[in-house]
Amino acid sequence: MREQLLRLWERLSWTWAPRSEREAGEAIVQNLWLHWFPAKIARRSMSWNYSFYLGVASASLFLILTVTGFLLMLFYVPATGQAYGDMKDLQFAVSFGWWLRNQHRWAAHGMVLVVYLHMARVFFTGAYRGQRFLNWIIGVVLLLATLLLSFTGYLLPWDQLALWAVTVGTNIAREGPVVGETIRYLLLGGTEIGQNALLRFYVLHVFILPVAVWILFGYHMWRVRKDGGLAAIETLRLGRRAEPKPVPTTKSYSLFGLTRGATVQVLSSTDMEEQDQGFSSPELTRRIALVFLLVFNITLLLSLLSNAPLEEAANPALTPNPAKAPWYFLWLQELVASTTVSIGSYRISGGLIGGIVVPGILLGVLGVWPLFDRSPQSCEGVWFARERRWQNITFAAITVVIVLLIAVGLGVRGPYWRLYWPGQPWPQMPRGL
Amino acid sequence: MSTTRRKFLEFLGKGSVFAAFLAQIAAAGRALLPNVLYEPPKRFKIKRPDEYAQGFTFDAERRLFVVRQESTFHVISAVCTHLGCTVQWRGEEFDCPCHGSRFRPDGNVIGGPAPRPLAWYEVVQAPDGRLEVDTSTPVAQGFSLTVKKATA
Repeated sequence: MREQLLRLWERLSWTWAPRSEREAGEAIVQNLWLHWFPAKIARRSMSWNYSFYLGVASASLFLILTVTGFLLMLFYVPATGQAYGDMKDLQFAVSFGWWLRNQHRWAAHGMVLVVYLHMARVFFTGAYRGQRFLNWIIGVVLLLATLLLSFTGYLLPWDQLALWAVTVGTNIAREGPVVGETIRYLLLGGTEIGQNALLRFYVLHVFILPVAVWILFGYHMWRVRKDGGLAAIETLRLGRRAEPKPVPTTKSYSLFGLTRGATVQVLSSTDMEEQDQGFSSPELTRRIALVFLLVFNITLLLSLLSNAPLEEAANPALTPNPAKAPWYFLWLQELVASTTVSIGSYRISGGLIGGIVVPGILLGVLGVWPLFDRSPQSCEGVWFARERRWQNITFAAITVVIVLLIAVGLGVRGPYWRLYWPGQPWPQMPRGL
Repeated sequence: MSTTRRKFLEFLGKGSVFAAFLAQIAAAGRALLPNVLYEPPKRFKIKRPDEYAQGFTFDAERRLFVVRQESTFHVISAVCTHLGCTVQWRGEEFDCPCHGSRFRPDGNVIGGPAPRPLAWYEVVQAPDGRLEVDTSTPVAQGFSLTVKKATA
């Protein structure tokens, strides 16, 4: 009986302290959650200062968001008359409701930041070449999905921020050529912002987008495996390919003779010296668990230090002055505010140029960049490779411009979106009507 | 000959099943575009002419300005033509809090990102004496209504 239960437990979980190599390998192969890892992984891939575990941190944040999100759903009704009151209840009436909301909010902000940093890491290490191009594209889509989740998320409290964000966001969509008006109609479920719009954004936020992200995340991880693990080991592999000895194409699935012959073709990281590798379980699993706990506790700390903001209840008659987007969209707000151009008597709205064209081009360039990277293969998986210097400088420069625009939006924009220097007092603005 | 016919019939059979499948996806998509809207009417009555003070009066519920000069009235939208925030009347001009668009009293753009002037709406006097505004289609700038018995 006890023996059977133990065996069952071993099936469901895995050992963190394997007594033999066989046990270490079986922990990976026999577990649903771990089988996307190879049994053995190059130590270089697992090193902290190659990847900084930013992908693991992103996934951890998304796990926090999913769990706190499910809990928040139990206290929230997506109705224009009730949503705002539900926020107040979470803050004041539900035990630890403030904590749920704060964790969700800080994890969301953290995810935008960490997903971007993860992308920057992949870019600066040139880890998107060849076979990895597809995974780079999926990563870009995941970044976009993260931003859309954030956008649909801060609409739900139905406060002033929410209302004016939907107003501006859907009016940007309306600027889209030909189909813009239809897309706005589709998003709002009408021509004005009301119950239909809230319900649609709610369904996008709690179902369509999260499911899409979980599926893409699974595919993203699977592709990492298929593409031969992290690019960190490409230089090792390159060195070995220079030697005459043939490199085996696949090993991992047949490592312990569990399967034989032609198995799924996986670029194996095991074609290297024994001392360069470690067992995924427990070396990798421990690190992942550590990163997860660290991320969880950082968001907890932030939740204790700072409450998720809630503005006044939505009021179509009065736009907050100034009305600022959350920090990760402030650079777009700067763009839409300053890119209206006149061609003769015809004016093209900044909503189209700054809201659709410029971000569209940025996203497009980001997506196809690996196709135009002509640097030698020795740059793959190497931080700040000399041959990719100008590419890295370009990426960093665009990031700096975005950060500067955000800083302008945060620091020096005042009432009526005019510039006020830090310390310069804002004029008194009527807060009511 | 018979294989060609067989292939043709097979194409028809599988094709029709596949077409029916696609049509259902299209139907699901079409369902998302509402046919009936439960939105406030675009044509509505506001107050009586004599209830408006001279100058600019903001109608918060309808997001528009009623402008009175003696007994002449016109109505200007308070919705910024850039990205739809509510502009504020500041004595000499309309300013937008979201992206800094600025408009003259007649709605024309002075500065900022707004691509078009603020919309003017048709205003008439209903039989019961109240003003009636139609926001479904903007009218030309300068459209105004002169009422007979506007006092106060």
